[in-house]
Amino acid sequence: MNATSFLKRKFPLVILLLGILILPLLSPPPYLIHIITFIFIWSYITTVWSYMGRFHLVSLGHGAFLGIGAYISILLFNYYNISPWIGMLLGGMGAALLALILGYACFRFGVIGDYFALVTLALGEVVALIINAFRDVTGGSLGMTLKSVGTSFYYFQFEKKIYYYYVSLLFLMFALFLWQIIDRSRIQKALHAIGEDEIAAASIGIRIIRYKLFITLISAFLTATGGVLYTQYMTYVNPETLSGVGVSLAIPFKAILGGMFHLWGSTIGTAMIVSLEEYIRIMYGARFIGISQVFYGILLVVLIIFLPKGLYGTISDYWQKRKRISEEQPKMKLGFFGK
Amino acid sequence: MEQLILSATLNGILLGGVLALLVFGLNLIFGVVKIIHLAYGQFVMLGMYIIFLLMTTYKMNIFIASLISCIILGLLGILLQMIVINPLLKSPRLNQLLALAGLIIIFENMAMVLWGADYRGIKLFLPVIHFGFLFVRTSYLVAFIGAIITLLGLNLFLNKTYVGLAIRATAQDLDSTQLMGINPKWVYLITQATGGILSGIVASFFMPIYTVHPHFGSAFTLMAFIIVILGGMGNFLGGFISAFIIGVVTSISAVLTSTEIADSIALIIFILIMLVRPQGLLGIRESR
Repeated sequence: MNATSFLKRKFPLVILLLGILILPLLSPPPYLIHIITFIFIWSYITTVWSYMGRFHLVSLGHGAFLGIGAYISILLFNYYNISPWIGMLLGGMGAALLALILGYACFRFGVIGDYFALVTLALGEVVALIINAFRDVTGGSLGMTLKSVGTSFYYFQFEKKIYYYYVSLLFLMFALFLWQIIDRSRIQKALHAIGEDEIAAASIGIRIIRYKLFITLISAFLTATGGVLYTQYMTYVNPETLSGVGVSLAIPFKAILGGMFHLWGSTIGTAMIVSLEEYIRIMYGARFIGISQVFYGILLVVLIIFLPKGLYGTISDYWQKRKRISEEQPKMKLGFFGK
Repeated sequence: MEQLILSATLNGILLGGVLALLVFGLNLIFGVVKIIHLAYGQFVMLGMYIIFLLMTTYKMNIFIASLISCIILGLLGILLQMIVINPLLKSPRLNQLLALAGLIIIFENMAMVLWGADYRGIKLFLPVIHFGFLFVRTSYLVAFIGAIITLLGLNLFLNKTYVGLAIRATAQDLDSTQLMGINPKWVYLITQATGGILSGIVASFFMPIYTVHPHFGSAFTLMAFIIVILGGMGNFLGGFISAFIIGVVTSISAVLTSTEIADSIALIIFILIMLVRPQGLLGIRESR
């Protein structure tokens, strides 16, 4: 594939990327930058979640990994002055270790489907409770504020939002890129087979435990780094917003409403949910306290009922169907009248 | 110390009764409609608000107020089934789960709009009985007895009436039930109505114990789920037994450590049992 045909094929994408890169130079309101950065961070986490979700490994406990990553990093930084970059690595490893223990146990004993979802749901809550229990160190449900050191790349702290904008964009692009790599590898085929029918996959010699653990570890590690990214941007952590049932359910929510089986699904779902939340909050939040949230809830339920494959999933399936029909049309005519 | 642990055990048994009460409706819906009813705690919360409203503004007797709240919640259960769950019956489990999680947002904020964020309770003074150093709150005792009566009543309903038998048959084998001429849509509606009524009963027994606020339901939902799954989905006796296990474990470990640690111990026990017996303590493993 040469450069021009690549450009032609990916034209909308290139334009979008250029737009996102140039946007901060046009000095938009800081609020817009904040929302887009927020979307990038949560899209990253949601995309990483859907690495597992797309193979029917539905985890409702990614809040556990998020919380572990964020808290390991912030505790190391606040108490021992260790750079969050190292904290990110260690937090990721901590989350991966937890995923290894729980994942191995689950996959070894054949806990799949709904039971896997419920076990992970409990895990997310356990982490939130433990963070609360050690409130002398972690601040409990009051949360913890990141120590400020001004702008320093080594300590991963910047005074301007723009830096976070680009950094989180990089993270998101990495997650999407990794999705593509996994999608083109043998792992994808193996996991797809496992997701469809585990016993059949095992009978043709696919090592179920190994493949499932692999994807779980990657997902857990990257989710934890997402937690660190969030911490550095918000400079405040709290067990309610980073682990526990609420956030553990909010992540799959975004992925499903976007379409978790597609590369762009999680990103679009996150963009939709975050902007919807913000729009309703800004427009109606002050005038009708509570009612705005009721509308938001109703909208979510309606979306789930009418777009079960998610927004992007539904649109892209519709396009592919139309494409197939338009390709099949001439052949059909040949069949009827050609002979 | 022994006295503390002994009284914690007693309190745990009573708490187990309260939790068992909470679990019946959830268990029924789980077993029959096969959906994870995440918003069940919010149903209980709404029921408590209805009782509160009827008792304070309309000066009703608690028994009449409870009856009305049971009826309203039963109707709400039917509405829920018709509007939200019927369109989602064939969709993936995760979608159903998230639709019900959306309902949590709706119910909680609706309660916030209608009644505000204050803690509301009724003035009902029940005495505290004490045997030597053991103190028993009568309100817990009432809930405990209520749980046993509800279990017996539910058993009678499910085993002796035609509707109950239809419900159980649907839970066991949907296809054969349809061949026998039972319309599962109706069975689902009746189940949801029963579930709603059960949540009304829970609300009436909770009213003397707790004060209600918009986020009251979410405090119980996860624990209630764990109990249902621990006992085996759709198995009432299993749910009853595991409610006591969880109740005793949490209250003893809360005395020895802190409430957060106690809750996480209960959750870790849940995870470990799931690994060894995914079908729950008294559940029957389904063949695939």
